[in-house]
Amino acid sequence: MNHISYILMVCALLMGPAACSYESRQTTVHEPGVYKGAKDPLLAQQKQQELIDRFKLVQTDR
Amino acid sequence: MARMKFLCDAERCINCNACVTACNNEHDVPWGINRRHVITLKDGESGEKSVSVACMHCTDAPCAAVCPVDCFYTTPDGIVLHDKDLCIGCGYCFYACPFGAPQFPEQGVFAARSKMDKCTFCAGGPLPDNSVEEYQKYGRNRIAEGKLPLCAEMCATKALLGGDGNIVSEIYIQRVTKRGGRPEAWGWETAYNFKSKKE
Repeated sequence: MNHISYILMVCALLMGPAACSYESRQTTVHEPGVYKGAKDPLLAQQKQQELIDRFKLVQTDR
Repeated sequence: MARMKFLCDAERCINCNACVTACNNEHDVPWGINRRHVITLKDGESGEKSVSVACMHCTDAPCAAVCPVDCFYTTPDGIVLHDKDLCIGCGYCFYACPFGAPQFPEQGVFAARSKMDKCTFCAGGPLPDNSVEEYQKYGRNRIAEGKLPLCAEMCATKALLGGDGNIVSEIYIQRVTKRGGRPEAWGWETAYNFKSKKE
């Protein structure tokens, strides 16, 4: 009897956490239109005037 | 804020392919792949015209709209870039792009497409600027160096212009005014929802 109750107790302890765990049933892990990649360090730089000066230096008609 | 745009003046393009060569060399693009193409219409006939085509960095980019993993992002300057770590090589962007810009240089398993590659307006990607990883995946980041796309800077006839859209259109208007004829800003209607005031 003691032996059976010991086994039942171990089973209850093992199954308890499993019963509490939750597995998402969502089939898509994606939010449409939302970019989730790495951030581009270039975006932090302000190069507008530098690029305009560069354009005038090399691309305008001679 | 500047809005970066490409414009190819078909009256000036002489089909020399220097833009293609410059791009391939600058970004170490694999053999058989071109981020930029020169298309010739009416080849060998009267009225022959050539245009240099690459990613136009569209205002409402169709590639970004169809991407199932949303690997595209647009910089405040209007440059459309993508993250190769997110790209799954599905090829939807290739079908959506009106300019045929997306390229698939690598071969994946079972002869499937691998990561997409396209013109970055020489602005690299979302990795540290001009790092080895960025160069290997996206090519050189000239914008971070304060330079503009090499294809446009190299163009001998100044047919290809790449930079702030306002300055580009200003130059083009001056040219059209001087030489006469109708303005034909090739690809601008599709890419930037541009409508000529004369129409």
